[in-house]
Amino acid sequence: MSCDAERVTAYVDEALAPAERAEVEAHLAGCRECRDQADEERDLRGRLRALAAPPPSPQLEARVRRSLRPRPGAARWLLPLAAGLVVLVAWGRGASPFVAWELSRDHDHCFGQRRLPARVWSSDPSRISAWLEGQGTTVPVIPDGAAGLELVGARYCTLLDRTVAHLYYTGGDKHLSLFVVPGPVRSTSREMRPRGNFVRLMRVGGTEVGLVSEEEESVDAFERALSTTVAREAGTSFAAAR
Amino acid sequence: MTREQRFEAEALPHLKAIYGTAYRMSGNPHDAEDLVQETFLRAYRAFDRYTPGTNIRAWLHTILYRVRTDAFRRSRRSPQTVELAGDGPAVPPPQDALAAGGEDLARAVDALPEAFRVAVVLRDLQDLTYEEIAGVLGVPIGTVMSRIHRGRALLRAALGGRKR
Repeated sequence: MSCDAERVTAYVDEALAPAERAEVEAHLAGCRECRDQADEERDLRGRLRALAAPPPSPQLEARVRRSLRPRPGAARWLLPLAAGLVVLVAWGRGASPFVAWELSRDHDHCFGQRRLPARVWSSDPSRISAWLEGQGTTVPVIPDGAAGLELVGARYCTLLDRTVAHLYYTGGDKHLSLFVVPGPVRSTSREMRPRGNFVRLMRVGGTEVGLVSEEEESVDAFERALSTTVAREAGTSFAAAR
Repeated sequence: MTREQRFEAEALPHLKAIYGTAYRMSGNPHDAEDLVQETFLRAYRAFDRYTPGTNIRAWLHTILYRVRTDAFRRSRRSPQTVELAGDGPAVPPPQDALAAGGEDLARAVDALPEAFRVAVVLRDLQDLTYEEIAGVLGVPIGTVMSRIHRGRALLRAALGGRKR
C-alpha cells in the first residue's frame, strides 16, 4: 500500500475493517511519515478530548425543562377550548344572521352621518361598477335604482373580517344599502330584521349580495330588480351561446 | 414511567455534551444555549422516533445539527461546506490560530471551517463513530473520514506540528 493519509486517520479512529487495518499497520511499519501522522493525530485526539467548553449557565437545564412543558396545568384544557372558540367565531362570522346584523349596523352607521361617507359619487352604475372593478370587486349587476331610490355612490366598509363593497341608494328620506359580501355566507335564513332594518341576503350571479333598508318595499323592489336583471342577462348569454 | 419522565431520564443527562458541541458550532454561549433549548424541544417532540438502545447522544446531535442548519437557513447564510476529496488543494491554516503561536487549541478549533470543525468535534470531543457522524451530518462515511482528516491536518498545522 502506498501512503494514504485519510486511511491513516481512519486507522487512528479504529474505523477500518480488520483486513484494511492490517494493511495500514503493515504500511506504517515501513513508512515514517505515516507513522508520524498517526502519532500526531493520537496526540491531538488526546488533547481535544480534554478540551472542555465553558459550562453552560446554571439556568440552562431549567430553561430546557420549562420549554418541554410550556403550558402546564390549565393549558391542557385551555388550548382545546381556545381552539374551539376560534372555530366557533369563524363559523359564526359566516352565518347569515351575523352577517345580516353587521350589514344592518353598517347601513345605520353610514346613513346616520351628516354626509354620506362615499368614496365615489355617481348615479351611473357603469361608473360605480368600473370603480369597484378597479378595486378588485366584480358586481354582476348594479341597478340604477328602484322604488324611487337612486344610486348615489359607493365605498368599501370593513366589517369585522371582511372588506365589503357598500353601494348607497337614496330617495327622499328613504335609504337602501346594497352590499357585495366576499366569501361564503352560510344561510340559515335569508330574510332578517336586525336592528329594526329589513335585510335580505341573496346570491346574484355567483356573488353574495346583501340588501338593507328601513322599508320592506325598498328591499323587495331591489330584490326584484336584481333577479330580473340577472335572469335577463343569463337569458341573453344563453341565447348568445346558442 | 411517562414519556416525559423517560425523556428526562435518557436525554437530559446529555445536556452538557450537546451544549459543548453547540458551543463549538456557534462560537458563543448565547447562541449555544438557544441551539440546545431548540434541540431538546425538537427531540422531545420526536422522542417516539428514537430507537431505544441506540446511541441517544448521536441522535441528539443529529437534531442539533438540523437545528443549526435551519438557523443558518433562516439567517440566509449557509454553513461553510468545504468538500475536499483526497488530494484536494490544502486549505491555508487558520490565521487566528497561527497568530496565537499554535498554543491555543480552542482557538484553533474555533477557527476551522465549519464542516471540518463539526466533524472533528463529533469525533474527538464527542467520541461518535464514523457511522454515527455520517448519520448526524447526512453524508457518506468517506466524507466523514475526509473531513476529520482535513480538520486534524489543519489543526496540526495551526498548532505547529512537524508537517501538514
